[in-house]
Amino acid sequence: MSDYAIIGKRMPRVDTPAKVTGEARFTADLKFPRMLVGKVLRSPLAHARILSIDASRALALRGVKAVVTGQDTFGEKWGVFRYTQDQCFLPMDKVRYFGEEVAAVAAVDEDTALEALELIKVDYEELPAVFDPLEAMAPGAPLVHENFPQNINIHVRIEVGDVEGGFAASHLVREDTFTAAEESYFQGEPYAVVARFDLEGNLEIWMPNAGPHMKAKPLSNALRIPLHKVHVRKVAIGGAFGGRSEISPADFICALLAQKTRRPVKIVYTREENTVCTRQGHSMITTIKTGVDSSGRVLSREVTCYMDGGAYSSTGPIATSVPFLCMEQAYKMENVRYNGFRIYTNKPIRGMIRVHGRAFACGVDTQLDMIAQELGMDPMDIRLVNAREAGEYTPTKSFVASCAMKETILKAAQKARWKEKRGKLPKWRGIGIGCNSVQTGFPMGIRGGSQAIIKFNEDGGATVISGVVDNGQGNDNMLVQIAAEELGLKPEDIQLVSADTELTPTDPGAYSQVSTFVGGQAVRLAAAQAREKLLGIASEMLEARVEDLVARDRMVFVKGSPQKAIPIQKVIRTGLSKGRVVTGEGSYWPKVDPRREWVQNPYGQMCEAFSFGTTIAEVEVDPRTGKVKVLEVVAAQDVGFALNPLVLEGQFEGAVAMGGQGGMLSEYHFWDKGRVMNPTQLEYKLPIAQDMPKIHCIIVESHDPKGPYGAKEAGMSIAMSAAQAYSAAICDAIGVYLKDYPLTPDKILKAIKEKARG
Amino acid sequence: MSRVPLSIKVNGEELELMVEPHWTLLEVLREELDLTGTKEGCGEGVCGACTVLLEGEPIRACLTLALEVQGMSVTTVEGLAGEKTLDPLQESFIRHGAVQCGFCTPGMIMAAKALLLKNPCPQEEEIRRAISGNICRCTGYAKIVEAIAAAAPQCNSSIRGPLQGPGEEPT
Repeated sequence: MSDYAIIGKRMPRVDTPAKVTGEARFTADLKFPRMLVGKVLRSPLAHARILSIDASRALALRGVKAVVTGQDTFGEKWGVFRYTQDQCFLPMDKVRYFGEEVAAVAAVDEDTALEALELIKVDYEELPAVFDPLEAMAPGAPLVHENFPQNINIHVRIEVGDVEGGFAASHLVREDTFTAAEESYFQGEPYAVVARFDLEGNLEIWMPNAGPHMKAKPLSNALRIPLHKVHVRKVAIGGAFGGRSEISPADFICALLAQKTRRPVKIVYTREENTVCTRQGHSMITTIKTGVDSSGRVLSREVTCYMDGGAYSSTGPIATSVPFLCMEQAYKMENVRYNGFRIYTNKPIRGMIRVHGRAFACGVDTQLDMIAQELGMDPMDIRLVNAREAGEYTPTKSFVASCAMKETILKAAQKARWKEKRGKLPKWRGIGIGCNSVQTGFPMGIRGGSQAIIKFNEDGGATVISGVVDNGQGNDNMLVQIAAEELGLKPEDIQLVSADTELTPTDPGAYSQVSTFVGGQAVRLAAAQAREKLLGIASEMLEARVEDLVARDRMVFVKGSPQKAIPIQKVIRTGLSKGRVVTGEGSYWPKVDPRREWVQNPYGQMCEAFSFGTTIAEVEVDPRTGKVKVLEVVAAQDVGFALNPLVLEGQFEGAVAMGGQGGMLSEYHFWDKGRVMNPTQLEYKLPIAQDMPKIHCIIVESHDPKGPYGAKEAGMSIAMSAAQAYSAAICDAIGVYLKDYPLTPDKILKAIKEKARG
Repeated sequence: MSRVPLSIKVNGEELELMVEPHWTLLEVLREELDLTGTKEGCGEGVCGACTVLLEGEPIRACLTLALEVQGMSVTTVEGLAGEKTLDPLQESFIRHGAVQCGFCTPGMIMAAKALLLKNPCPQEEEIRRAISGNICRCTGYAKIVEAIAAAAPQCNSSIRGPLQGPGEEPT
């Protein structure tokens, strides 16, 4: 066991006291003098040309201070990549989905703003629309964007090895198609933005975000103001789950209204707006063909996936790739071909979500179970045969330095008593296993690295400056824990300045599971440098060599002689009296292959580390209703090293709720053409406390050679393996392999009845 | 529209306010009194983020017109802590890692408070039922249930202990 003072401990999070008292300020809680309320007018049509907008009656309404439309913008188009720039934040020519932004007002209060929206007259020419990805690809289908034939937004093509040869050599080949509906994030906090300009023309803006620097750059582009004048501020954030990674039109619109009125403006989304007008998960049609030898080893695999991308590109190239990447990491594959198509439709925009493709992940694992059954194998054994191992390369050429996939399978199986239960449970009970892997980071260009700055203060405490943002997962605490450990301080001695684009250096943002690995590492390096300077001063005071000194519990002492310690505060004050300031800088740049590109060149080192996990679920199905009761879940993940088991368990448990309980049993959208019919929590069924089973968390540590203290990622991989395990357990319970997700009671009941009829 | 008088007691303080008749209790708490600990997550009584206590009973502030609580006593999350000490529930939520993004936390704590006021020794099923109207997207509820059970210290609860598993709290 490592001799850490703070790292590895069950430390309650530093941000929680303010959250339990109600003092933590979320964006909608902010209030400024003369602040106006902003509201957005949205398209009532799925696809239409905008002929004219007449806002004169709205502007004449008392209390209305501004109306903005596309005519008030520079018409800059947003896209995560240069080749995906397809979205105007206020479109001028046409609208492409029901709910798209058309105009916005700022008024003295909400009632006035809402009344003003009704007074804006928009003339539309309705256009034919497409709502299904396969129909959208068919010849003659209406085009969502004129310059994208067949509405193909992104095509990711990966081919490795000899796929046909692999199939020819296979003992058994199966091909199956799996489908899944859209799901939504349902972050606790609906989206909100507050914007104002200061006297120097700097934009100050607050919003839930997964990377303040990733917000600032597109705002600077769209408003045509210098980047250094866009100050995205820190604020409490009510969840992201992949849905707040990009700029939102609301950010731009709010800033535009603030600019026009020279007053602070606040926009708070309704729950319906948060569902329809932010991001959703892609619906998917995935065809998987797998060939194995007689031992169950996968020899060849071909996957073709059609993803409904909605009206704009969003993170399209990434979203089209990650479902495949997760599975190529989790399982060995020598010969593999992937064709991922992201298709434009006239539906809301799709982005990255915690479970990257139910029809993908559950499809791969369900098919493994089908193959295992045909071969007379145990589902656990076929996973052990194919599980990724450390020291290997993924098909797309990422080296896997650390991997304890097999250990997560074996430990989860032992805890769940898999061998005693599988195939031996009473009727209508089932147990299933799922395995997955996620990336710790992506190639991110110039914002792919993180830098941190640390300064000791006169009282012996320290200020840590980092661009890392906390959107609920505990990143603030992670930074404080690392800094306190390295500097020999208590967590309460650390002042954290973070997630503010004026004050903090660049950071990739809290997505792609990279915060600890990159941002945490930068803080660790900065702290190590500051400690070196601290010990340099102390070495003169203690007449000892720097390398023999230890900083711990606010003291500096010679290793082995804690009785002759001097307080850190005294060292700092001694340094100050000699003009020696104790600061540190750290920078971490992940060693990824910069030539790797999502579409043009999807090969090379993707990120430095990958996490691996296994979930096992045990369920009971009511054959009269098709309802599923989940009895017990075991979640095991190779996180590299557990910096804080208390926080990690929370990530595991939340992942089971979102990926398994909600993602596999109840969460999906249903539609009337392009209109979401269940945009609120009344109709979209999220798990509640009574739904949740007992969850056993197993932390597996593979000690990644590059991660800070050996740490990698936690929280996303379990969401995916939980979805797979829930699906597998239900299939086991009813004796039918289901292929359309989520597995709602109607589908389960239908399968039971069809099986009974033979 | 013309405003009408509203007398209410909020967190022990008697208040005389002038409100629009269509304002909800949530709007009065957040906009007029700046008590923004009470959150709006859905505006239709589903998510529970706006839960406050009305005469000790949990209610949805978003579905309650301000004038409905005329002359009554309301407690919000800001009214739980003492000057120097937190409510045992608040302490327990911190210690047990029951808070992630924290948006549902005030409503969750108020629902739990209402439970403990009535039932100081709840069983796990009673805890889960008491917070079944409060949606949390981050935690899977496991640590929230633990935290509520542990905030009733006189009970020998069978709910999983607070500090098992690897690691220990830093000293």
